[in-house]
Amino acid sequence: MTKPIDTSIYTAVTDAIRTEAQRILSEGQVSAIVGYAAARRKGSAQPIVISQPDDAAKLIFTPACVNNLAVYLTKAKKEIPKSGKIGIVVKGCDLKALSGLMGESQLKREDIYLIGVPCAGVLASTVQPATELTTDSIAPKCTECDAHLPTGCDFVPAQTPVAADLEKKYAAEITRLEALTPAERWAYWKEQFSKCIKCYACRQVCPFCFCEQCLCDRNKPQMVDTTPRPAGNTAWHIVRAMHLAGRCAGCAECERVCPMDIPLNLLNRKMAKELKELYDHEAGFEVLDKGPLNMFTEKDDQSFIK
Amino acid sequence: MHSEKQKHTFEPKIIAFVCTWCTYAGADLAGTSRMQYPSNVRVLKFPCTGRIDPVFILKAFQQGADGVLVSGCHPGDCHYIAGNFHARRRFAVFRKLLEFVGVDLNRLQFSWVSAAEGGKWVEVVTDLTEKVRAMGPMTEFKELAMEEQWSGAIDTPELKEAYNQI
Repeated sequence: MTKPIDTSIYTAVTDAIRTEAQRILSEGQVSAIVGYAAARRKGSAQPIVISQPDDAAKLIFTPACVNNLAVYLTKAKKEIPKSGKIGIVVKGCDLKALSGLMGESQLKREDIYLIGVPCAGVLASTVQPATELTTDSIAPKCTECDAHLPTGCDFVPAQTPVAADLEKKYAAEITRLEALTPAERWAYWKEQFSKCIKCYACRQVCPFCFCEQCLCDRNKPQMVDTTPRPAGNTAWHIVRAMHLAGRCAGCAECERVCPMDIPLNLLNRKMAKELKELYDHEAGFEVLDKGPLNMFTEKDDQSFIK
Repeated sequence: MHSEKQKHTFEPKIIAFVCTWCTYAGADLAGTSRMQYPSNVRVLKFPCTGRIDPVFILKAFQQGADGVLVSGCHPGDCHYIAGNFHARRRFAVFRKLLEFVGVDLNRLQFSWVSAAEGGKWVEVVTDLTEKVRAMGPMTEFKELAMEEQWSGAIDTPELKEAYNQI
């Protein structure tokens, strides 16, 4: 049954973000702020970088603020972080990504000013940005969210989000797939991967895909076929999931931007589940020195090794 | 000394990624000790199991391997101190990923074989070869590759009829 989700705090959150942005920009604490602003269509939102205190009034927070802005602070987008201390508006899931980047020495905590957002959820699709946020229109990642209220930020508005108890969409789908035979799973993924057009939107939008040269772009030796055809597609998606294992923060941007609607985050969630079971690792707000696949213990499970 | 050669209808291709310090030396010992093991295995030597990228396994399957063996030093014996510990975690996770995508894990074997374990090498290789032989050829990745070619699968009735008329 479709039920609306309480987003009444978002107006107060918007006001709080604006006041804080105004203050830190005019005091010169930061040189710029990455946030969300209203776009041209009614109800829509887009990322914006502001550097003038007057522009603080442009900032908003609505259910259409889907983007993970952490990607603008990575190496892949070199221009922005160079201009001094940067403010950034982050939801809980985005903050997990930023913590991951700090753990991988891509960012320094002292170089960023975190404006955390109490978030009750965002839309799955912004095709109709003015849609009301309901249990149907909410992004699947928000149904499994444990980070409605970011912690450890420099500023968090005082509002508390009302977390609705929702059916966990990824967990249910993973359970369904795990119950199938390998041949059935292969058929499922073969169909999904065959849709891929190799646009690499999933890679470009991912905060963790910051390699200067991607393994999948190299052609000497060519490890992954670059053409959008079945073998190369399958290899790309397996390699992508493997490279994000133990790092993915679960912002599900890959899945949101995929023009062919491939359930990419399903692979990421599955890997997260396995890492939780094997090495008790979960993406969180804490900055870890080493990810689960960069470390080891002598007692790690080796029941699969002869 | 040589046991009588048995004829099989299917000879699987097994790719073995091995570490140079332990398993390669172990395989060498099996050879110099004149132990017999299936010639289906193609050994690829790496400095360490930590050097073996999961993408190599993927590539092997894509290029027509029916089974893959990854083998290195026992935990604690790594020439580079911790390479095999890292590999152990990486492959534990990679296995789970392949399983989720639908690859039969019986085709993928991991083992620790030290330089003194020529006998264990023979045992591991024989077991995997026989297991894969019983399973038949690995078709999943080959079919994907075939789909990439114009002359690939003839799957529509019209095409099949036209082909049969030639």
